[in-house]
Amino acid sequence: MKIQKSHELFEFSDELTFSKLKNELIHQNSFFDEIFKDSSIKFFLNLKEITNEDIPINDGDEIALLPPVTGG
Amino acid sequence: MIKITKEDFNLEEEFKKIHTKKNGAYSFFLGTVRQDINDDIDGIFLECYEELAYNQLNKIKEDSVKKWNLSDCTIIHRVGDLRISEKIVLVIAAAPHRSDCIEACEYIIDTLKANVALWKFNIKGREKKPVDQKKKDLDKYLNWEQVIS
Repeated sequence: MKIQKSHELFEFSDELTFSKLKNELIHQNSFFDEIFKDSSIKFFLNLKEITNEDIPINDGDEIALLPPVTGG
Repeated sequence: MIKITKEDFNLEEEFKKIHTKKNGAYSFFLGTVRQDINDDIDGIFLECYEELAYNQLNKIKEDSVKKWNLSDCTIIHRVGDLRISEKIVLVIAAAPHRSDCIEACEYIIDTLKANVALWKFNIKGREKKPVDQKKKDLDKYLNWEQVIS
């Protein structure tokens, strides 16, 4: 399943956490429900793996959703 | 030295760069593009989230140097289009004694395969198909996590 969008803009309140972002994205598109339920996908905030979903998200932060890696 | 590159590398040149009089042992791992018996491919394409991959490779190097008292290690990973038999990845672990660098080399490649932001695609004609992560690769990485912690 593909989201079929190159980009989309969302407005968030000032106090955003990864957990709130997740819920908002799932609300916007059920595609994200599959993504966040998939235990093989890892989430990174500014190049660090997210281990606490209450971590705050600030302007300019970069979140990456990474499928299982296959280098080597 | 850690490098992610589209360019090929030379084994002897890389050995010269890491070689010092204090090392008595070097362990090498070289990964190449395999012609799979069950999957007739023309080559592979390697995609990378470079900024994250450099961070992850630096952490792997840092952990292996500390755990096995390596004097140094080299990790070179190629990206982009690679044909059958081309070099993909080189690991060189250098240490005064062989047991340390052999184990460290295995740790580095096993961890790289399961925990560095690189993705492999099989290429056949115009078709580009993502390669699935193998369970055995993930299991090896998880075993190392217990050793390194």
